[in-house]
Amino acid sequence: MSDARFVNQRAVGSPVVPDEAVPLVEGDGRFLNDIRLPGMYHVAFLRSQHAHARIRAVDTAKARALPGVITVLTGKDLLGKVEPFRSTPNRFSGGESIQHWLAVDKVRFCGEAICAVVAEDRATAEDAAELIEVDYRPLPVVTDPRLGERESAPLIHESCPNNYLIKREHQRGNVDEAFRKAHLVVKRKFRIGRKQALCLESRGCVAGYRESSFGLTVWISHQLPYVVRHYLASHLRMPENDIRVVVPHTGGGFGQKASIYPEEFVCAYLALTLRRAVKWVEDRLENMVASTHARDQHIEVEVAVDRQGRILALSSDVCVDVGAYSTYLWSAGMEPLQTAGLMPGPYRVPAMRYRTRGVATNKTPVGPYRAVGRPSASASLEMLLDEVARRLELDPVELRQRNLIPLEAMPYRNANNLVHDNVNYLPCLKLSTAKAGYQRLRAEQREASANGKLRGIGVACFAELTGLGTSTAVGPGTLLQPGRDAVTLRLETTGVLSIAAALPSQGQRIMTAMRQVACDELGISLDDITCVINDTAMAPYGFGTFASRTAVFGSGAVIQAAKELRRRMLALGAHLLQVPAAELTIVNSVIQTIDRSKTLPIREMAEKSYFSAKNIPPELNPGFEVTSFYDPKLGSFAGGAHIAVVDVDAQTGEVKIVRYVAAEDVGTIINPAVVEGQIIGGIAQGIGEALLEELVYDETGQPRTITLADYLVPSALEIPRIELHHANTPSAALGGFKGCGEGSIIGALGAVACAVADALSRHGGDIHEFPATPERVLKGLGVLPSEA
Amino acid sequence: MAREQPIRLTVNGRVYERTVPVRLSLADFLREHLHLTGTHLGCEHGVCGACTISMNGRSARSCLTLAVQADGANIVTIEGLRAADGTRHPMQQAFLDNFGLQCGYCTPGMLITAIELLRENPNPSEQDVREALSGNICRCTGYQAIIDSVLAVARNETAPPGEIGGSRDRQPARRP
Repeated sequence: MSDARFVNQRAVGSPVVPDEAVPLVEGDGRFLNDIRLPGMYHVAFLRSQHAHARIRAVDTAKARALPGVITVLTGKDLLGKVEPFRSTPNRFSGGESIQHWLAVDKVRFCGEAICAVVAEDRATAEDAAELIEVDYRPLPVVTDPRLGERESAPLIHESCPNNYLIKREHQRGNVDEAFRKAHLVVKRKFRIGRKQALCLESRGCVAGYRESSFGLTVWISHQLPYVVRHYLASHLRMPENDIRVVVPHTGGGFGQKASIYPEEFVCAYLALTLRRAVKWVEDRLENMVASTHARDQHIEVEVAVDRQGRILALSSDVCVDVGAYSTYLWSAGMEPLQTAGLMPGPYRVPAMRYRTRGVATNKTPVGPYRAVGRPSASASLEMLLDEVARRLELDPVELRQRNLIPLEAMPYRNANNLVHDNVNYLPCLKLSTAKAGYQRLRAEQREASANGKLRGIGVACFAELTGLGTSTAVGPGTLLQPGRDAVTLRLETTGVLSIAAALPSQGQRIMTAMRQVACDELGISLDDITCVINDTAMAPYGFGTFASRTAVFGSGAVIQAAKELRRRMLALGAHLLQVPAAELTIVNSVIQTIDRSKTLPIREMAEKSYFSAKNIPPELNPGFEVTSFYDPKLGSFAGGAHIAVVDVDAQTGEVKIVRYVAAEDVGTIINPAVVEGQIIGGIAQGIGEALLEELVYDETGQPRTITLADYLVPSALEIPRIELHHANTPSAALGGFKGCGEGSIIGALGAVACAVADALSRHGGDIHEFPATPERVLKGLGVLPSEA
Repeated sequence: MAREQPIRLTVNGRVYERTVPVRLSLADFLREHLHLTGTHLGCEHGVCGACTISMNGRSARSCLTLAVQADGANIVTIEGLRAADGTRHPMQQAFLDNFGLQCGYCTPGMLITAIELLRENPNPSEQDVREALSGNICRCTGYQAIIDSVLAVARNETAPPGEIGGSRDRQPARRP
């Protein structure tokens, strides 16, 4: 099937067509909503219509009386029976939020679940939910984090003064002295709106009771099956090994499916208590308010530079609207800590200080989403660098070249304590400017300007820490350091190889990647290798897919395990062929002497190993199953440089991207076509973030963007053809791999934001708020009055 | 008004007679009643395009169509794109070969819409393809590989793809 033509006889580096995509093009994908079990009940949730209110009473009598309704569950029904979610960001600071699976006496955001209705079908469950009567007493709301942190603001959690769910101040190096001695100090504001991942498939689960050998089986659209299992066990107070978690085909994740949410846990509880399978699938209207949001930051950043424009110190103030609860597992620390802590990006920053906080508001909680914190950190710094360049009359590219960490300075420990090594920041910038014809672009821009057109050019460089091992936390100041994942390789009785891991794919073709790596390491044909990545009943322990880690961990673990499996295969092969192991090699699933005078198909060897064990010395037949945990210790920096060219319509405020060139360093590439898809897809989401996507709330905390007609994601018309180039250098991780899932969204926000600001600056305008909607662009041009 | 109504329709060449609730959407009918789960629901309000099916030769949003409105119709879904011998439709093969999908959730709607485009315009420009697909959201690919898939079919086919679900012979899918 995957009759790949390998590049240089190696699977790694070749654009192997992924077998795993076949069911998806043939209509045979099995997504969560495609699962149905006999007798399965359906669940619908009643959600709060108020942003902040006391619940005085909940009357479910009419709902219960509707034919077809099995039961209605309220928050009080769960009290004392399950553990609510308690989330604390870190050891430094901030508050703890307690989130009941179903609200008990208070609701804190529009869309918070209050009741679960179980019925014979979904339509009946929804009908019944409308019959529930809730007596609310509305409370004053917090919708602006800058007002919410004031002493006078209403408290969302009594335990969190100033509504701080996280607060941290940090300094490294002598910042004050750097600012005193600086040749130039420049300060800018940056605001990014609230957005969400908008997976095309929303969340959902099927919870089965006593299916197969497990008390509880949960099929869930999620990125972290073992993490779900761990938390189900602890919150339902049941043994972990009585739970199986399976992830079906998943229609996008992007971090939104990496958190622990109440709805799926309610379903698990219902399956156990009703002794019947139940199913819940989030509809789009629910998804807009019940699945985690992202970003929503107010940033002020100030830089001190010397006469040549070299950065001396960076000082930032970050305020994030993190919503009503500290997201479970990751906490409210994600955006605030990563935005501030990762601000230096790929640039040499000798000293830095930041003040950052996540303020609770009466909105949907903010959780992880592709490249948490880094896009706005990067964009705010890139826009600041453009302003430094203007003031010093330097070209923006020249200024960046002076500040990027050069290869010869590596390993380089930056002011945020992260070590940069094996990463081509400068070559990426040089490659992208050369491929884009940067000087010509500037000449064309001057020409356009002379003709009264607003053209802007944005250049953004970024760093992305991928594949974080045990020595690096998932974010500065967070406690989570999972850092390891395992793979099991098993040679089956017919000589085919199975790879098992708990690293689910949301389209990243991780199965194909691991098969390619195993093919090279073991000499087993690609067609003889299969992979399972979605089932805790079959996979060794793994933390799951997030943070651009899966290719690094999965492939590293395959390399480690393959080393031992290969040793065992060659040892048995040597015995069966009666030649020394050192004279043997494995090619296309055949063990052979180098001159091919003696050959042994792996199929034959495996059959002998399993079925004729009596004839083989036991020390040569220890079994062909190897599990290996891989820990890359430090993470590997990936990086890149993006160039965006935009035309701004001064009449309508519309921004059109006319050219987009990217150069990236993603380490050794496993499958170039897959990597290209990851990068271009990330750029598209970054363009959406820069120009279109924003979740809007009114002053009472009511969401105004609850359909896809209100919340605009890019279509094929808004995304230009992306010109992608590579300046790769291998990482220190096994195989030289780096992650590539997130980096490009960082570069895209920065490049497009800088390009828009560059265009406006030609007419004396400026812009600080993104997405750059037509209204904001016209305000930036002074055509529309700006708010104070 | 009756809560249920009988309908008779053809789906992927097979005739079905069913009595369905009048409020049942065509998408739910296909998925829940006929078990054709290849058609996906992304928004249920007609914006995302994942649920696009072919109805009497025209693409239609199955989430905004009621099952009773499809009475008498000829419907083709992603499950009906392969030839009788199991050969993939050239558009399916092109999406596979050109990495025109990641998570695959938008794919059914993309395939149906792209096939309709090439039937009406066998030699589209890149901009034509972008416009034709602009009602189908993909959140993973940034569209480029999807557009390249459609252009690959347009370039390589000596004859445009036939009526989907029709009996016209198709060229066997080629490997690159």
